[in-house]
Amino acid sequence: MSVTQLPNEHYAALISADKSELPGHGLAWLNSLREKASNEFSDGGFPSPREEEWRYTNISPIEKSQFSLATKAGAVDADFLQGVLLDDCHHLVFVDGFYQADLSSVGELPEGVVVSAISSGLAEHEGLLKSLLDSVVATEVLGFINFNTALFTDGAVISIEENTKVDKPIQLAFISSEGADLSLSNCRNVIMAKASSKATVIETYNGVEGSCYLTNVVTEIVVEPNANLSHNRLQAESLKAYHMGGVYSRLDKNAIFSQYNYTFGAVLSRAEVHADLGEASDCTMDGLYIGMDHQHIDSHTRLNHEQPHAISNEFYKGIMGDRSRGVFQGRIIVAEDAQKTDAKMNNRNLLLSDHAEADTKPQLEIYADDVKCAHGVTVGQLDDTAIFYLRSRGADEEMAKNMLTFAFANEMVERIELQPLRIKVLEQLLKRFPQQGMKIEWL
Amino acid sequence: MLKIEDLHVSVEGKEILKGINLEIGKGEVHAIMGPNGSGKSTLSYILAGRDGYNITQGRVLFNGKDLLEMSVEERAWAGVFLAFQYPVEVPGVSNIYFLKAALNGIRKFNGLSELDAMDFIGMVKGKMKDLDMDEKFLYRAVNEGFSGGEKKRNEVLQMSVLEPTLCVLDETDSGLDIDALQIVAEGINRLRDPERSFVLITHYQRLLDYIKPDFVHVLAHGRVVKSGGPELALELEEQGYAWVDQKVAS
Ligand SMILES: Nc1ncnc2c1ncn2[C@@H]1O[C@H](COP(=O)(O)OP(=O)(O)OP(=O)(O)O)[C@@H](O)[C@H]1O
Ligand SMILES: [Mg+2]
Repeated sequence: MSVTQLPNEHYAALISADKSELPGHGLAWLNSLREKASNEFSDGGFPSPREEEWRYTNISPIEKSQFSLATKAGAVDADFLQGVLLDDCHHLVFVDGFYQADLSSVGELPEGVVVSAISSGLAEHEGLLKSLLDSVVATEVLGFINFNTALFTDGAVISIEENTKVDKPIQLAFISSEGADLSLSNCRNVIMAKASSKATVIETYNGVEGSCYLTNVVTEIVVEPNANLSHNRLQAESLKAYHMGGVYSRLDKNAIFSQYNYTFGAVLSRAEVHADLGEASDCTMDGLYIGMDHQHIDSHTRLNHEQPHAISNEFYKGIMGDRSRGVFQGRIIVAEDAQKTDAKMNNRNLLLSDHAEADTKPQLEIYADDVKCAHGVTVGQLDDTAIFYLRSRGADEEMAKNMLTFAFANEMVERIELQPLRIKVLEQLLKRFPQQGMKIEWL
Repeated sequence: MLKIEDLHVSVEGKEILKGINLEIGKGEVHAIMGPNGSGKSTLSYILAGRDGYNITQGRVLFNGKDLLEMSVEERAWAGVFLAFQYPVEVPGVSNIYFLKAALNGIRKFNGLSELDAMDFIGMVKGKMKDLDMDEKFLYRAVNEGFSGGEKKRNEVLQMSVLEPTLCVLDETDSGLDIDALQIVAEGINRLRDPERSFVLITHYQRLLDYIKPDFVHVLAHGRVVKSGGPELALELEEQGYAWVDQKVAS
């Protein structure tokens, strides 16, 4: 079912405006791709809540806000940047949707490995971009994706050479500057892990606290046979911002793909994580989302088991406080040919307030007969007995609750193998649930 | 130190404690025995401040202050400690962090500064050694996956770290093997002090072989039906509780 609605006039005007400043203008194939996306958007606009998949995501505040297109990168102060960059990584920094060479440091890479911005590397890597762009995205409701395809200003092109291991993680840091208030940015990333390669990519999203902007980002990923790619996403936007993010991936035979998704920021956010699983591939999807105040956080995952013998393990945890709302929609589709599929999905939610809400919706569509599929979802509250126990030992009530909430989240943090990322996630957690006297090595 | 006067408690309309009177002086050890379901754990939870009970009558004074008016943590800060009959598992919270948070809460209340991490760990490790506990328990989640006996030992570890003045131990001896019982009893005896009192809830004389009580009380059907010296426990061991029931009936 597809429900169309008239696109918001403001955004329709943005998308039909002159695109000659966008990277790749002059490349016929890219122009026609942008053109097609632009036309589709003009017909359909942003998704309406009448679309089943968008039932819980009310994007009308985005329409009302009438964000303008960011046209250049604003200034980012050194301390802010320092707080965003992870230690010991190859860094590409994008500000307000534009690559900033002077803030980035790619450093030494193994032979044949590409880590570049679209804007600066297009001439050299056109073939790579052309082969990947719009090749993996497959979903019914394309509003934000079309908007991105038509208007993306920059993003990363990454290719990991065959049989090559990139030791240090590659961080793509997306920053919204103070000057980006009331504007929107579109970045597009393409990542190719060639056969038997191994790498880690971390996308981080940060903005100046208090500013209101929209980040609309799409990442497309191909993991070739026997390659192993870890893809991480830390969304810590300003709490007034909007974030629409998508990760679309294709796993070839025996590929290993791990996607870790940590969501803390934005007043309204949606993360779409899709994977098409080839034969005997192995896909992990882990997520942690924490909402406070009036935040609305959507996590939508889709695992397409298209070929036999693939394994998927999905585990998402959510904590909703105050008047926040968390939505988890996890779809697993097992095609008729995908015999011996082994798929596990788990979503656990902790509600901290009577006014908070968690909606969890696992959807299993199984067309093969010889498969193992398990799913479990829960929505619960802190255990009163445990609170009593902690208080009876001298922790005050707030402390006891913070300890237990932290503990609930920490199960996901413990799974983060990358120490610098783990520390960043911990910082976000501790900001929300302070732990007096906690030593990180005790976790 | 502790004075319980005519305490009546009910749960969901059912009266469980029906007028308890008990006075515990500084430095004393009181044993409370009694049949299953007589209200021993209920009494211990009331002292610790657990929710869900209806206190319909009576009062409890702790060092002259109204204990029932105090929040759970205020009681802990003031020196009340309950070793649970069924210690609670707290997944995701490490034992060491739990102990530190608890001790700092209490120290803060008493106007003391936070203990330095190194000093703290050194102190805790010393107490673990006394209780023959492996140091690896420090980094495990509180009670999670602990065996019954390990949980009980962990309760006594917490007690020796927090150094409360009123220790209520609810069947801490249950589930301990013979060697563990001796180690735990020694741990408790080490804490004995003229300023510290103990309430030992137990079904067995063997704990009292190690920790000699000053008084023994029999709780039955929500009342203290008999009080006496250590010899009362021996009498119960021989005769069981049948005679208590006869006594209540008459
Ligand atoms: N929350 C509750 N709801 C209903 N009944 C309760 C509740 N708590 C306690 N009771 C009842 O109160 C009575 C006393 O229970 P309590 O646990 O205090 O006994 P006990 O003396 O500690 O027994 P045991 O020796 O078996 O540990 C029991 O009959 C029990 O079922
Ligand atoms: Mg009991």
